[in-house]
Amino acid sequence: MYRIRTVTTIGRFVMTFAAVVVVQGVLPHHFRVFSYFDLPLVLCVYYGFTLNRPGASILIGSALGLMQDSLSGAVMGTNGFSKTLIGFLAASAGGKFNVDQPIARVLALFLFSLADGLVVSMLALVVGDAAGPAFDGAYGARLLSAAFNTLLGLVMLGYHDRLSHATT
Amino acid sequence: MRQALPSKRPLWILLAAALLFHTLLFSLQSSRGVDSGRVRHWLLDSLARIEKTADVAIDGVRGVWQSYFALTGVRSENEVLRSEIDRLQMQLARQSEDVLEAARLRRLLDLQEPSLGKTVVARVVGRDPSPVRSHLTITIDKGRNHGIRPDTSVMTPAGVVGRVISAGDSFSIVQLIVDSQSAVSVMVRSTRRQGIVRGIGTRDLKLEYIDDDSELKEGDELITSGLDRVHPKGLLLGVVTQVKPGAGLLKDVTIRPAVDLGRLEEVLCITEPPKEAPVPASVSNSR
Repeated sequence: MYRIRTVTTIGRFVMTFAAVVVVQGVLPHHFRVFSYFDLPLVLCVYYGFTLNRPGASILIGSALGLMQDSLSGAVMGTNGFSKTLIGFLAASAGGKFNVDQPIARVLALFLFSLADGLVVSMLALVVGDAAGPAFDGAYGARLLSAAFNTLLGLVMLGYHDRLSHATT
Repeated sequence: MRQALPSKRPLWILLAAALLFHTLLFSLQSSRGVDSGRVRHWLLDSLARIEKTADVAIDGVRGVWQSYFALTGVRSENEVLRSEIDRLQMQLARQSEDVLEAARLRRLLDLQEPSLGKTVVARVVGRDPSPVRSHLTITIDKGRNHGIRPDTSVMTPAGVVGRVISAGDSFSIVQLIVDSQSAVSVMVRSTRRQGIVRGIGTRDLKLEYIDDDSELKEGDELITSGLDRVHPKGLLLGVVTQVKPGAGLLKDVTIRPAVDLGRLEEVLCITEPPKEAPVPASVSNSR
C-alpha cells in the first residue's frame, strides 16, 4: 500500500514537472515576457525550502534540469547538473537558516538565479554547447530574469505559507 | 522550515551520484560527438507532445478571442485590405508578364525549374524554455518519421530560419540563425562576394570572413551560398542594416534576418535538398 502511494506521488510529481517545463516552453512562444521566467529553477528553490528533504530536492532538481535540457538545444546534463546543485543548496539553506523572512527569500532566489546561469554557462563553455553559452554579454537580461524569478518565487512561497497556516 | 536533518552520508552519496550522472551525460556527448542520445529523443518526443497540446489550447483560446471579442475596427481594416488587394492585383498583372519572360529565358538557357527539393511543413510548438537564451531554439512538430534529420535546413517563404540540431521521432529542435553558435555560409546577392554570417544571441547577425567588403552597403541582400551543405543555395537570409569600420581590417557589418524569428508559426523543412542545376554548356565554356 505504501509502495503504491509512493509510486503515485512520484508519478504525480513527474507529470507536474513535465507540464511545468512544457508550459515554460509554450508560453514564451506566445507571450515574450514569459521568456524571463525560469519556472524549473523557481520550483527547485521552492521545493528545497518547503519539503525539508534534501534527498527529494536533489532528485527534483535533477529531473527538472533534464527535462529543460531535452526541450532546449543545450547539451543534455548542463541544466540537470545546475538544478541538482541548486535543489541541494536550497534544501540545505532551508534546513540551516531561517528562510521564512522575505529578505532572506529575496536574496536566496536572486542569488540562486544568477548562480544557475553562471553554472550552465560555464558548463556550456567547457563542453562546447551547440546552443551556445548563456552568459555572452546578456547581463541586463540575466539580471531582469533573476528579478522575475525572485518575484515569482516570493509569490509561490507566500502562497505556500498561507496554505500551511490555513491547514494548521 | 528549519529542522534537524538526519545523517548526511546517504545524502552526499545521492548528490554525488546525481552530479556524476549529469557529468557523464554531457561528457559523453561532447567527447564522442553524440549530439542527441536516446534519453533526449525519448524526453523530447514525450514532452513535446504535451507542449503541442498546450500550444494548440492557447491558440484555440486566442482564436476565440480574435474571432468574437476583438472585432473592433474590422470594418475600416476591411476597407484598407480591399484597396490593398486592388493594388496587388494590378501589380500581379504587371509581374505575370515578367514571369512569362523569365520562363522563356530559362528555357533558352536550358536551366531546370528552380526548386527547394523535398519539403515538409512543420508547426512551431515551443521555444527554448531557458530564459535569456529564449528565441534561439524552437521546437517543431515533425521529426525523423517525417524525414527530418540533424542539419535539415528550416525556412519560411520570407527566408532562412535555422537548422535542425536534434531530431526525435515526431519532434525536432531547430537552432535559429540568431543563436550565438550558428554560422551560415552566404553571398551578397548583388556582388556575389562570399562570407559567413554568425548569430550573436540578439535579434541581429554579423557578417564575417567576407573576401572583399569594400562594395558592401546598407540594403544589400544576403543569400545562402550552399557551401555549408546545410542550406540550399539562393535562399534569402537577411539584409545589411549597418556597415561601419571594425577593429581590424574588415568592416563591422550588421545583418537583420529576413524572417521575423519572434513570430514563427509554421516553417518549411527541406528534407531533400534540390539537385544541382546543370550548368549550361554555353555558360561553362564562357568561364
